[in-house]
Amino acid sequence: MQSNNGYYGEFGGSYIPEILYSSQQQILHAFEEAKNDPAFIAELKDTWQNYSGRPTPLTFCKNLTDYFGGAQIYLKREDLNQSGAHKMNNVIGQALLVKRMGKKRVIAETGAGQHGVATALIAARLGLECTIYMGAKDVKRQYPNVFWMKQLGATVVPVAEGAQTLRDALDEALRDWSSSHEDSHYLIGTTCGCAPFPEMVAYFQSVIGEEVKEQSQAQFGQYPDRLYACVGGGSNACGLFLPFLEEKEVEMIGVEAGGKGLELGQHSIRLSNGLGQKGIAQGFATMFLQDANGQLQETHSIAAGLDYVGVSPIIAHLAQEGRIQMTYAMDDEVVAACSLLLKKEGIIPALESSHALAGAFKDAPNLPKESRIVINLSGRGDKDIFNVAKAMNDATFPEFLEDYMADYKEHLNNEGEA
Amino acid sequence: MSQLAQYIAEKRQQKPILSMTHVVYGYPSVQESLDWMATLLEAGADFIEVQFPFSDPVADGPTIVAACHGALHDQSLTVEQCLTDIGQLGRDYPQARIALMSYLNPMYRYGLEKLVKRCAEENIQGLILPDLPYEQAADLRTYCEANGVDPVWLVTPVTPKDRLAFLAKEATGFLYCVARSGVTGNSNHNGGDQQSLDEYLAEINSHTSAPIGVGFGIREKAHVDALKGKADVAIIGSALLDAYNKGGKEEGLKLFNNLFNS
Repeated sequence: MQSNNGYYGEFGGSYIPEILYSSQQQILHAFEEAKNDPAFIAELKDTWQNYSGRPTPLTFCKNLTDYFGGAQIYLKREDLNQSGAHKMNNVIGQALLVKRMGKKRVIAETGAGQHGVATALIAARLGLECTIYMGAKDVKRQYPNVFWMKQLGATVVPVAEGAQTLRDALDEALRDWSSSHEDSHYLIGTTCGCAPFPEMVAYFQSVIGEEVKEQSQAQFGQYPDRLYACVGGGSNACGLFLPFLEEKEVEMIGVEAGGKGLELGQHSIRLSNGLGQKGIAQGFATMFLQDANGQLQETHSIAAGLDYVGVSPIIAHLAQEGRIQMTYAMDDEVVAACSLLLKKEGIIPALESSHALAGAFKDAPNLPKESRIVINLSGRGDKDIFNVAKAMNDATFPEFLEDYMADYKEHLNNEGEA
Repeated sequence: MSQLAQYIAEKRQQKPILSMTHVVYGYPSVQESLDWMATLLEAGADFIEVQFPFSDPVADGPTIVAACHGALHDQSLTVEQCLTDIGQLGRDYPQARIALMSYLNPMYRYGLEKLVKRCAEENIQGLILPDLPYEQAADLRTYCEANGVDPVWLVTPVTPKDRLAFLAKEATGFLYCVARSGVTGNSNHNGGDQQSLDEYLAEINSHTSAPIGVGFGIREKAHVDALKGKADVAIIGSALLDAYNKGGKEEGLKLFNNLFNS
């Protein structure tokens, strides 16, 4: 979606410290040039295909369709990307742009670690130095991802400021960029931040919706009636929705994280129920969860990837215009939806993507049998094994962890003696 | 001529360089921060740059970030009370001036037009918002012009020459020259070497008639002395806060006197 000088309605823009002006302008121009360079597009498509495994399938879910007895349910399988999530589409695009700009280093923020791992993967492949900022609490909660980032050669910096989560990691990445802008690129993981990041990330993610257009025509001869995507920062939703923007009969539903309840601090609902208010922070204008004095507030979701205080200015605008309907799913509904997909279709969804599932499952029984819905399965759920085990009260998991710990310690002791 | 520029010009008749000392409002408490400001004014500070804390201060380094988070931790700070408090301070010390610094969001939530009007009422003559670039500030500029308050623009060693010339011409009260890349204070994110500060300041001086303030990384007397004859105001933030954190008002005052009164 083309912005109006960086704005989408009243959202977006570029509110950055003066020190970043030149670098922001450089990205703006490099992206405009690259978009119109057939060689860049060819390399992008080649990397998407041969490194990340695109196109990803559009999978019909017969069992779920029969189970609900309403709309025919399809999944867009972004979980089958290299790295296990749609995040790869964007990091490939931006990393190729980094090479084009002649920069040697990338900086990224990460919450759960998915974008951090994706960035570390592409940095390793393209020979870029890589620093990942991650809230100190998230480092503890998501250590397996931290482990892989380190193994991939990235430097992981735990951020001990503020609430020690994604928002603080983003602030710290901006601070790094303020001093390292000459040789470093800030590889933002979602459709947020100053212009042109929302537009650029949405552009690289739009491959999702473009493929759904082709695949739906090929599989059932028309476009889907409804599209569902979870909305954290908004990148997988932008990717699926934006190519369908002009198809007025296609309805779009964005699902935010309802978390544990609607009190401030318990959820990440920015775009419905009047919970978010317009603000300008972290480089752009959007709907933020904030108090009456304009201080950004803490958020919660069982899915770390949806646990963000702001939201894409593109989604905020389209929601305000009524083009996208916004809804939310609570933590327990999300775990139930995850469990249902496991049992009915043999697919392990990420908890982020399970929000889209939960939103769609509420509507599916009430939709006509001939209607077709596409749910963006933005990521796979292997990473959530600890959280899902706990949410499902799996009795054997602690036993496994204890045995594993005992074995690990013994291994370390033996290594020490050897 | 802007009130602020006139104040600086008059004071500069008596002093080779003026001092702007930065204090975070509400840190460690509202009363202690106001006491600290008063102490600095007693000691002869020409300006207090009062930072109204924001949860996500992206242009600041660890010292100031920690103070902002500390100030917001267990108290609710309002812009209205801050303006009232620092307005009173300005009336108590009429020989000095107060500038308000914050990030855009708390000011935006308060209302930019109301903010500028209230600043004018409280005789707060300068407004520094590091995440509001000139291009995005059309409304604020209008309000400021109507109320005689100066928006303070920042330039940096990597600001392109034509943009630097433009911002320098637009500057009214004073132009805030960031001395180096990176964020405020001693941090992991300090920039490397830039074109020499002298050349940079000479370039800026060639484009502006407004006074020049220099900040970011000023920690020692030698840094302040090096600005004499090239700039009008030395802005001291994180170093002062580091001293205050180490030994309270006494230690902070020792640094201030060393930099400006020795």
